[in-house]
Amino acid sequence: MFLLTSCEDKQKHPEPLPSDSIFNLSSQWKNQYGDSLYLKDLQGKTLVVVMIYTSCKTACPILVSKMKSIESKIAKKDKRDVSLVLVSIDPETDTPARLHEFAKTNQMSDPQWVFLTSNESSTQEFANVLSMKYKKISPIDFSHSNIISVFSPDGQLVSQEEGAIDVDKVVLTLHETVQKSK
Amino acid sequence: MRVKYLVLCASLSIALAITGCKTNTEQGKSSVSPVDMVASGEPEVAELTGAPKVPAPVGNRQPKKLIVNLVTTETEGIIADSIPYTFWTFNHTVPGSFIRIRVGDEVTLNLKNEASSVLPHNIDLHAVTGPGGGAAATSSVPGKETSFSFKAINPGLYVYHCAAPPVPMHIGNGMYGLILVEPEGGLPKVDREYYIMQGDFYTKASNIKKGLLEFDNDKAVAEKPDYVLFNGKKGSLLGANMIEAKVGETVRLFVGNGGPNLTSSFHVIGEIFDNVYLEGGSTISHNIQTTVVPAGGAVIVEFKCEVPGEYVLVDHALSRAFNKGAIGKLKVTGEANPKVFNAKTLSKH
Amino acid sequence: MSIGLMSCSNQENNPVEEKSFADHFSGTVQNTRVNTAMAYIPGGEYKPFYGSDTSLVKVEPFLLDERPVTNGEYLDFVKSNPAWQKSNVKRIFADTAYLHNWSSDTTLPEGANADAPICNISWFAAKAYAESIGKRLPTLDEWEFVAMADATSPNARSKSEYSDRIIDLYLQKNRQFNPVKHSPPNYWGVYNMFDLIWEWTDDFNSILTTGDSRSGQYEDKSLFCAGGATSATDILNYAAFMRFALRTSLKADFTVANLGFRCARDTVVHLNK
Repeated sequence: MFLLTSCEDKQKHPEPLPSDSIFNLSSQWKNQYGDSLYLKDLQGKTLVVVMIYTSCKTACPILVSKMKSIESKIAKKDKRDVSLVLVSIDPETDTPARLHEFAKTNQMSDPQWVFLTSNESSTQEFANVLSMKYKKISPIDFSHSNIISVFSPDGQLVSQEEGAIDVDKVVLTLHETVQKSK
Repeated sequence: MRVKYLVLCASLSIALAITGCKTNTEQGKSSVSPVDMVASGEPEVAELTGAPKVPAPVGNRQPKKLIVNLVTTETEGIIADSIPYTFWTFNHTVPGSFIRIRVGDEVTLNLKNEASSVLPHNIDLHAVTGPGGGAAATSSVPGKETSFSFKAINPGLYVYHCAAPPVPMHIGNGMYGLILVEPEGGLPKVDREYYIMQGDFYTKASNIKKGLLEFDNDKAVAEKPDYVLFNGKKGSLLGANMIEAKVGETVRLFVGNGGPNLTSSFHVIGEIFDNVYLEGGSTISHNIQTTVVPAGGAVIVEFKCEVPGEYVLVDHALSRAFNKGAIGKLKVTGEANPKVFNAKTLSKH
Repeated sequence: MSIGLMSCSNQENNPVEEKSFADHFSGTVQNTRVNTAMAYIPGGEYKPFYGSDTSLVKVEPFLLDERPVTNGEYLDFVKSNPAWQKSNVKRIFADTAYLHNWSSDTTLPEGANADAPICNISWFAAKAYAESIGKRLPTLDEWEFVAMADATSPNARSKSEYSDRIIDLYLQKNRQFNPVKHSPPNYWGVYNMFDLIWEWTDDFNSILTTGDSRSGQYEDKSLFCAGGATSATDILNYAAFMRFALRTSLKADFTVANLGFRCARDTVVHLNK
């Protein structure tokens, strides 16, 4: 991944990460193709992030459809600067293979979609950075807050929408963040 | 040039005259629904006051953007006769600061919990339409600040209070106040306005500090208070702290009841309320002797002072007034008015 | 070390190897030598504060620090792990009030008691500390299970003086400056559950609303209304209400003047007590 820079010199001397950047987390993840990566590997694009789990029957399908709605409304010229990231809160069930299948079923196989899974402690750490609440209430069910977050290309939290997600607001924030980073 | 100038002046005068005519005493009558009212301009910090004072009336202004800053504290104060009590407060006072806005205003409320607090606090404003009246959004641990914003879409006089659990304890320790949402055009003008808030207090001796009183949960559950007070302190409206008015003046009292439990039967001995905004809302009743202020509710009463003297404010459940502290005074000064009231005793020869 | 909260998970399904939390930061973590005694808690079933009337939660046997982590111990930790010193810590792991009262990166506040509990630290910091000594944070259920005890019984929740005493303590200020262990221990030999500080738990953020009717009791609105279990016989819930109110107001990067922690550890030993 290349660093998004505004000036050529910066490519030779990448700026240090902001202290509040999510890329400071050194947790390791796998995506829907089984590739190992760090969060830092997502640096350089504006990120829209949500935490879900694939066997969720209640809120997650709504979150997924919100994410798709957001994706469809991103301006053409912004598209290549945005990654949509879905992070599993159920790493036990949501293996890379399972995420791959989920992505296919939901027509989220294009390159802008990133699905991530890790282990329990990294997942909990990530959820806490997002100020997400969640609890395993049965072997197959979690209850969790519904939050869609936007991060800048440097990993700084720009905004969060909770509960009733205003899709247009998120799209506007995305656009502003992409423009700001140029 | 001159003609243009004259025309401009004339137009302005006509415009001002029309605006002047619009100043009315009708409440809430507008073609624009409060939800659609536009609050313009840069946000201003709202003026807040401690009881019994209130901020200046909003008058005939347009809806504004306002910032209300509140801090929650846990501090020792005097409850009665030099006896200390551990109060929990909004802005260091019981009741908390009086907030005065108008319908259509958009308010950003910042709630900071003092770092020396032990417990988290939050706020529920009855003037807010939205989850918990703001409580969920404002739960602040010691040292932290939270914020939320709301639009005032209903005029009226509303209670606000801390809603952190256990709620009766937070309210029992004094975490309540009033927020007035004036209607479009503002309330009719009066000469004096005062802020009074009743609360019931349940106390026991602290195990830790000698002489200090603190909240007694058993008494609260049994609804057997030790004190029923106006403005959080016995004698807060007596002696040097009496509220004042002159003969001929109109007085408006914003009366709230934080509870946590008791309903008040508010009465001013020797006065009759000309106007009572029932339960702090928009229906006005007249010629009322004693009005009900529910726990977590409020009322606006207005009367004209005709006769000089001391007028006693009470909760007319009189044991509370005479044994528990629910008593205050309004001192009216000025010319005697024997036609209305003549206390001369006839002497016998 | 696995921070598993549940029974052994099938490692084959776990796509990513568990890495020590503290390893994240320097790769060469200095384990601090700490001699905190731990109490053996045999666990059992208990009725959680937020559960339905009939549901019981099972707590597995575990070890719990007998008292909170102290200023002195945390000082040793930051000396060995400079990434957690206040001028180095990443803002994503702790807010700006992290150790704000310390005189320097490696000096306690003036006049501070080294045996008083460490405060002004975030959840991330508490977790890193626990990991550095091969421990973990207790779960909410584990903590509350131990909190049920008084000096003489494992579950004192129905005794009115038990709850009165806790609320009395909660009303006092500045208890966080007192040294640990200076009050009597409870039934399990655990000190200072109520008389010094609030404490982080591993899953402090697990109290929330769920749309699932099976767990309807998790309604977080009940924490803000005067409703819920505040009947006369349920006074015990006042103290628990306060703890839960605090937990739901926290975020993992928060640092608070009267919030610290103690550590726990899994045990494979099952003792018959």
